[in-house]
Amino acid sequence: MSAEGRVRLTVLGGYLGSGKTTWLRHQLHAGAYRDALILVNEAAETPVDDALLTEAAGLEVLAGGCACCAGRDALVALLRRLADTRSRVRSDDARLDHILLETSGLADPGAIVAAIRADPVLVHHMVVTEIVVAVDALHGAAQLAGEALGRRQVETADRLVVTKVDAAAPDDVARLVATLARLNPGAAVSGAAKGDAHPLPDHAEAEPIALPALSADDAPIFTTRLTLDERIDWPAFTVWLSALLHARGDDVVRVKGVVRTPAGRLLLQSVRRVVQAPERLPDTVERGTDDTIVVIGRGYRGEDLARSLARFAGAG
Amino acid sequence: MCASCGFPAAPGHWTEAGSAGPGDRLRTRFRRAQVLKSVLRRYGLTAHDGAQVPGIQIGTLAGAETIVRDLEELWCAAETMLGAPVDPLDPRFLEESEAAA
Repeated sequence: MSAEGRVRLTVLGGYLGSGKTTWLRHQLHAGAYRDALILVNEAAETPVDDALLTEAAGLEVLAGGCACCAGRDALVALLRRLADTRSRVRSDDARLDHILLETSGLADPGAIVAAIRADPVLVHHMVVTEIVVAVDALHGAAQLAGEALGRRQVETADRLVVTKVDAAAPDDVARLVATLARLNPGAAVSGAAKGDAHPLPDHAEAEPIALPALSADDAPIFTTRLTLDERIDWPAFTVWLSALLHARGDDVVRVKGVVRTPAGRLLLQSVRRVVQAPERLPDTVERGTDDTIVVIGRGYRGEDLARSLARFAGAG
Repeated sequence: MCASCGFPAAPGHWTEAGSAGPGDRLRTRFRRAQVLKSVLRRYGLTAHDGAQVPGIQIGTLAGAETIVRDLEELWCAAETMLGAPVDPLDPRFLEESEAAA
């Protein structure tokens, strides 16, 4: 995917001990992310994970502070330094094009995306292309039931990897996958055992785990598909979406889609209140999914989104 | 930084990505102002973007006015002026604007 000259950033998250490093280690061994610089963030003062990731092309460790809160300034400073070094290399020479950030188990990936977007330098240099979240097949259900952080991690993911599938009972895994599909219907779910791809049991029949409400506004998340017809132009759409995210940013967890504009096809995505700088996609292929926006969130009625957007577009 | 107004050249806000060229950018600004005006009118607010100065002007009918750089700041300013955010999913807004249409 073209990032318009910016560095692609993949965020790998997941709860403590969910198998992030094991998965990444195997991916590196299998040849994925070979081009990427690996950044490992650990909340503890003494880093361990870097010793395990010996196959990476480049590795930097950020220890002593979770990158989404206490260690945020350190992360931003490190990314700025990398962007600065990269800017000194001619664009047609080999240079850093991909960073994979393995977060600490306590990090909210959404907060990291927000920090990068809010930084006036990094916003020009980095684009978050994917958020991968590892979910532990053995302990994931308990974490989702008891930890708001565990749910936030799952909700912001583009791709969910259920780890340790071989160690858990197939029925439990099926229920976990059904729960994940309910929490984040937009994410692709795959299985892994010791980092290697592992088939997931069929979850069509499985009953999702009943998650207790952790706070008053903890209704289940659902997906709404919005089709932008020709009456809805880009200015009206941006006015609507910016207002929606301002007022409902805590409820609207994720917005994704491709919008046709006079400037070309734009890939739009947001995590909570933060919208990434839209990426221009090549015009060559006409896709059926253009002008469809997927909104993932809770606490509102899905049909109100289309009504409200139509009101904004018809305004004036 | 613009020498006349002191507005620093902000990194392009995501809402400005959809325009193909200078003419189109101007058209987008006018259309955006038109949409804002009509939405904010229901809340007793005014919006104006004559494309003479950078930014969007937002004010109350009582005369309080401010200039904001982009839509993100605009909704923050609207919230300050109203005491509550402008919520596009507010049932009252939906019903009133549908009745008016």
